[in-house]
Amino acid sequence: MTFVVSDNCIKCKYMDCVEVCPVDCFYEGENMLVIHPDECIDCGVCEPECPADAISADTEPGLENWLKLNAEYASLWPNITIKREPPADAKAFDGVADKLKQYFSPKPGQGD
Amino acid sequence: MIVASGKLDHVSEEGIRQLVDMFYVKVRIDPELAPIFARAIPGDWQPHLTKMYAFWSSVMLTTGRYKGNPVAKHLAIPGVKPELFERWLALFDATCSELFDDATSDAFRVKAERIAESLKLALFYRPDRPWPQEPTP
Repeated sequence: MTFVVSDNCIKCKYMDCVEVCPVDCFYEGENMLVIHPDECIDCGVCEPECPADAISADTEPGLENWLKLNAEYASLWPNITIKREPPADAKAFDGVADKLKQYFSPKPGQGD
Repeated sequence: MIVASGKLDHVSEEGIRQLVDMFYVKVRIDPELAPIFARAIPGDWQPHLTKMYAFWSSVMLTTGRYKGNPVAKHLAIPGVKPELFERWLALFDATCSELFDDATSDAFRVKAERIAESLKLALFYRPDRPWPQEPTP
Protein backbone atom coordinates (compact mmCIF):
# COMPACT_ATOMS: atom_id res chain seq x y z
CA MET A 1 0.00 0.00 0.00
CA THR A 2 1.08 3.49 -0.71
CA PHE A 3 -0.32 6.92 -1.34
CA VAL A 4 -0.57 8.17 -4.90
CA VAL A 5 -0.49 11.63 -6.50
CA SER A 6 -3.08 12.09 -9.22
CA ASP A 7 -4.49 14.45 -11.85
CA ASN A 8 -5.14 17.59 -9.86
CA CYS A 9 -1.47 18.00 -8.90
CA ILE A 10 -0.63 18.75 -12.52
CA LYS A 11 0.16 22.46 -12.95
CA CYS A 12 -0.87 23.10 -9.33
CA LYS A 13 2.20 21.56 -7.62
CA TYR A 14 1.65 23.28 -4.29
CA MET A 15 4.36 21.13 -2.61
CA ASP A 16 2.92 21.34 0.92
CA CYS A 17 3.24 17.53 1.03
CA VAL A 18 7.02 17.48 0.85
CA GLU A 19 7.42 19.38 4.11
CA VAL A 20 5.39 16.93 6.17
CA CYS A 21 6.51 13.65 4.58
CA PRO A 22 8.63 11.85 7.18
CA VAL A 23 10.40 9.67 4.62
CA ASP A 24 11.13 12.15 1.82
CA CYS A 25 9.39 10.05 -0.81
CA PHE A 26 8.24 12.83 -3.19
CA TYR A 27 9.86 13.28 -6.60
CA GLU A 28 9.50 16.35 -8.74
CA GLY A 29 8.49 16.62 -12.36
CA GLU A 30 8.27 19.84 -14.31
CA ASN A 31 4.65 20.38 -13.37
CA MET A 32 3.67 17.72 -10.83
CA LEU A 33 5.02 15.58 -8.01
CA VAL A 34 4.85 11.81 -7.56
CA ILE A 35 5.28 9.45 -4.60
CA HIS A 36 7.82 6.62 -4.70
CA PRO A 37 5.67 3.59 -3.81
CA ASP A 38 8.59 1.62 -2.37
CA GLU A 39 9.59 4.44 -0.04
CA CYS A 40 6.14 5.60 1.13
CA ILE A 41 5.28 4.07 4.52
CA ASP A 42 1.57 4.74 4.17
CA CYS A 43 1.44 7.12 7.14
CA GLY A 44 -1.08 9.32 5.34
CA VAL A 45 0.32 12.58 6.69
CA CYS A 46 0.51 14.16 3.23
CA GLU A 47 -3.09 13.47 2.20
CA PRO A 48 -4.87 16.23 4.16
CA GLU A 49 -2.00 18.67 3.53
CA CYS A 50 -2.60 18.84 -0.22
CA PRO A 51 -4.56 22.01 -1.04
CA ALA A 52 -5.55 20.43 -4.38
CA ASP A 53 -6.80 17.14 -2.85
CA ALA A 54 -4.53 15.33 -5.28
CA ILE A 55 -3.21 12.63 -2.90
CA SER A 56 -5.13 9.43 -2.19
CA ALA A 57 -4.53 5.97 -0.77
CA ASP A 58 -3.96 3.42 -3.54
CA THR A 59 -6.79 1.36 -2.06
CA GLU A 60 -9.25 3.83 -3.61
CA PRO A 61 -10.68 2.57 -6.89
CA GLY A 62 -9.52 3.81 -10.28
CA LEU A 63 -5.97 4.73 -9.30
CA GLU A 64 -4.14 1.86 -11.02
CA ASN A 65 -2.79 4.01 -13.84
CA TRP A 66 -1.77 6.73 -11.42
CA LEU A 67 0.07 4.19 -9.29
CA LYS A 68 1.99 3.12 -12.40
CA LEU A 69 2.75 6.71 -13.32
CA ASN A 70 3.94 7.48 -9.77
CA ALA A 71 6.20 4.41 -9.73
CA GLU A 72 7.62 5.11 -13.18
CA TYR A 73 8.45 8.78 -12.72
CA ALA A 74 9.63 8.44 -9.09
CA SER A 75 12.62 6.58 -10.46
CA LEU A 76 13.29 9.21 -13.15
CA TRP A 77 12.67 12.54 -11.41
CA PRO A 78 14.74 14.19 -8.64
CA ASN A 79 13.82 13.97 -4.98
CA ILE A 80 12.14 17.02 -3.44
CA THR A 81 12.00 17.67 0.30
CA ILE A 82 11.85 21.45 0.48
CA LYS A 83 8.77 23.38 -0.59
CA ARG A 84 9.19 26.25 -3.04
CA GLU A 85 6.74 28.78 -4.42
CA PRO A 86 3.97 27.01 -6.34
CA PRO A 87 3.41 28.07 -9.98
CA ALA A 88 1.91 31.57 -10.26
CA ASP A 89 -1.11 30.18 -12.10
CA ALA A 90 -1.63 27.21 -9.74
CA LYS A 91 -5.03 28.43 -8.57
CA ALA A 92 -6.32 28.79 -12.12
CA PHE A 93 -5.57 25.13 -12.81
CA ASP A 94 -6.94 23.79 -9.51
CA GLY A 95 -9.94 21.62 -10.38
CA VAL A 96 -9.51 21.67 -14.18
CA ALA A 97 -10.62 18.27 -15.50
CA ASP A 98 -8.36 15.69 -17.12
CA LYS A 99 -5.10 17.56 -16.92
CA LEU A 100 -3.05 14.44 -17.65
CA LYS A 101 -3.91 14.46 -21.36
CA GLN A 102 -3.52 18.19 -21.90
CA TYR A 103 -0.77 19.32 -19.57
CA PHE A 104 1.31 16.46 -18.12
CA SER A 105 5.04 16.93 -18.64
CA PRO A 106 7.41 13.96 -18.41
CA LYS A 107 10.36 16.33 -17.92
CA PRO A 108 12.08 16.32 -14.52
CA GLY A 109 11.69 19.23 -12.13
CA GLN A 110 14.59 20.96 -10.43
CA GLY A 111 14.46 18.96 -7.17
CA ASP A 112 16.08 20.26 -3.97
CA MET B 1 -5.59 17.88 29.22
CA ILE B 2 -6.00 14.84 31.44
CA VAL B 3 -9.55 13.47 31.45
CA ALA B 4 -11.38 11.84 34.40
CA SER B 5 -9.79 8.46 33.68
CA GLY B 6 -6.37 10.01 34.23
CA LYS B 7 -5.54 9.51 30.55
CA LEU B 8 -4.42 12.07 28.00
CA ASP B 9 -7.19 13.12 25.60
CA HIS B 10 -5.04 14.48 22.77
CA VAL B 11 -1.65 14.05 21.14
CA SER B 12 1.13 16.40 22.21
CA GLU B 13 4.91 16.37 22.03
CA GLU B 14 5.01 15.61 25.76
CA GLY B 15 2.50 12.76 25.36
CA ILE B 16 4.55 11.31 22.52
CA ARG B 17 7.70 11.46 24.62
CA GLN B 18 5.97 9.58 27.45
CA LEU B 19 4.53 7.02 25.02
CA VAL B 20 7.87 6.31 23.38
CA ASP B 21 9.69 6.04 26.72
CA MET B 22 7.06 3.68 28.18
CA PHE B 23 6.88 1.61 25.00
CA TYR B 24 10.60 0.97 24.74
CA VAL B 25 10.78 -0.05 28.41
CA LYS B 26 8.35 -2.83 27.41
CA VAL B 27 10.29 -3.66 24.23
CA ARG B 28 13.56 -4.02 26.10
CA ILE B 29 12.16 -6.70 28.41
CA ASP B 30 10.03 -8.48 25.82
CA PRO B 31 11.32 -12.00 25.11
CA GLU B 32 10.60 -11.75 21.36
CA LEU B 33 11.61 -8.17 20.62
CA ALA B 34 14.38 -7.48 23.11
CA PRO B 35 17.10 -9.56 21.37
CA ILE B 36 16.48 -7.93 17.96
CA PHE B 37 16.51 -4.43 19.41
CA ALA B 38 19.55 -5.16 21.57
CA ARG B 39 21.50 -6.15 18.47
CA ALA B 40 20.28 -3.14 16.48
CA ILE B 41 20.90 -0.67 19.33
CA PRO B 42 23.87 -2.02 21.25
CA GLY B 43 24.81 1.19 23.07
CA ASP B 44 23.04 4.35 24.18
CA TRP B 45 19.28 4.23 23.54
CA GLN B 46 18.66 7.95 23.81
CA PRO B 47 19.44 8.73 20.14
CA HIS B 48 16.89 6.11 19.08
CA LEU B 49 14.28 7.42 21.52
CA THR B 50 14.86 10.99 20.34
CA LYS B 51 14.44 9.83 16.74
CA MET B 52 11.19 8.10 17.68
CA TYR B 53 9.84 11.24 19.39
CA ALA B 54 10.47 13.03 16.09
CA PHE B 55 8.96 10.20 14.01
CA TRP B 56 5.68 10.09 15.94
CA SER B 57 5.57 13.86 16.06
CA SER B 58 5.79 13.87 12.26
CA VAL B 59 3.13 11.19 11.90
CA MET B 60 0.65 12.38 14.54
CA LEU B 61 1.22 16.13 14.59
CA THR B 62 2.49 16.61 10.99
CA THR B 63 5.46 18.61 12.26
CA GLY B 64 7.92 17.26 9.68
CA ARG B 65 10.43 16.80 12.52
CA TYR B 66 11.53 13.32 11.39
CA LYS B 67 13.34 12.80 8.13
CA GLY B 68 14.66 9.35 7.41
CA ASN B 69 14.34 6.10 5.55
CA PRO B 70 12.73 3.52 7.83
CA VAL B 71 12.46 0.92 5.05
CA ALA B 72 16.24 0.87 4.56
CA LYS B 73 16.83 0.88 8.33
CA HIS B 74 14.60 -2.17 8.83
CA LEU B 75 16.12 -4.00 5.86
CA ALA B 76 19.50 -3.71 7.53
CA ILE B 77 18.38 -5.49 10.73
CA PRO B 78 19.11 -9.22 10.76
CA GLY B 79 16.44 -11.53 12.14
CA VAL B 80 13.36 -9.39 11.51
CA LYS B 81 10.35 -11.62 10.88
CA PRO B 82 6.77 -10.67 9.93
CA GLU B 83 5.30 -11.91 13.21
CA LEU B 84 7.59 -9.61 15.19
CA PHE B 85 5.59 -6.73 13.74
CA GLU B 86 2.45 -8.20 15.35
CA ARG B 87 4.24 -8.36 18.69
CA TRP B 88 5.47 -4.80 18.25
CA LEU B 89 1.94 -3.61 17.45
CA ALA B 90 0.43 -5.41 20.45
CA LEU B 91 2.92 -3.76 22.84
CA PHE B 92 2.51 -0.38 21.19
CA ASP B 93 -1.27 -0.53 21.37
CA ALA B 94 -1.15 -1.62 25.02
CA THR B 95 1.10 1.34 25.83
CA CYS B 96 -1.17 3.77 23.94
CA SER B 97 -4.18 2.48 25.91
CA GLU B 98 -2.37 2.97 29.21
CA LEU B 99 -1.52 6.56 28.42
CA PHE B 100 -4.26 7.93 26.14
CA ASP B 101 -8.05 7.84 26.04
CA ASP B 102 -9.75 5.49 23.55
CA ALA B 103 -10.07 7.91 20.63
CA THR B 104 -6.46 9.04 20.87
CA SER B 105 -5.03 5.55 21.21
CA ASP B 106 -7.19 4.45 18.25
CA ALA B 107 -5.61 7.21 16.18
CA PHE B 108 -2.14 5.93 17.07
CA ARG B 109 -3.14 2.32 16.39
CA VAL B 110 -4.53 3.08 12.91
CA LYS B 111 -1.30 4.83 11.92
CA ALA B 112 0.93 2.18 13.49
CA GLU B 113 -0.89 -0.67 11.74
CA ARG B 114 -0.68 1.00 8.34
CA ILE B 115 3.00 1.79 8.73
CA ALA B 116 3.73 -1.74 9.96
CA GLU B 117 1.91 -3.27 6.99
CA SER B 118 3.80 -1.04 4.64
CA LEU B 119 7.17 -1.94 6.21
CA LYS B 120 6.27 -5.64 6.09
CA LEU B 121 5.42 -5.33 2.39
CA ALA B 122 8.70 -3.56 1.74
CA LEU B 123 10.69 -6.17 3.67
CA PHE B 124 8.96 -9.42 2.87
CA TYR B 125 6.66 -9.13 -0.15
CA ARG B 126 7.73 -11.15 -3.18
CA PRO B 127 5.53 -11.05 -6.29
CA ASP B 128 5.77 -14.84 -6.68
CA ARG B 129 4.59 -15.66 -3.15
CA PRO B 130 1.19 -15.29 -1.49
CA TRP B 131 0.44 -12.24 0.62
CA PRO B 132 -0.27 -12.10 3.54
CA GLN B 133 2.48 -14.58 4.30
CA GLU B 134 2.19 -17.68 6.43
CA PRO B 135 4.13 -17.25 9.72
CA THR B 136 7.73 -18.41 9.41
CA PRO B 137 8.41 -21.66 11.33
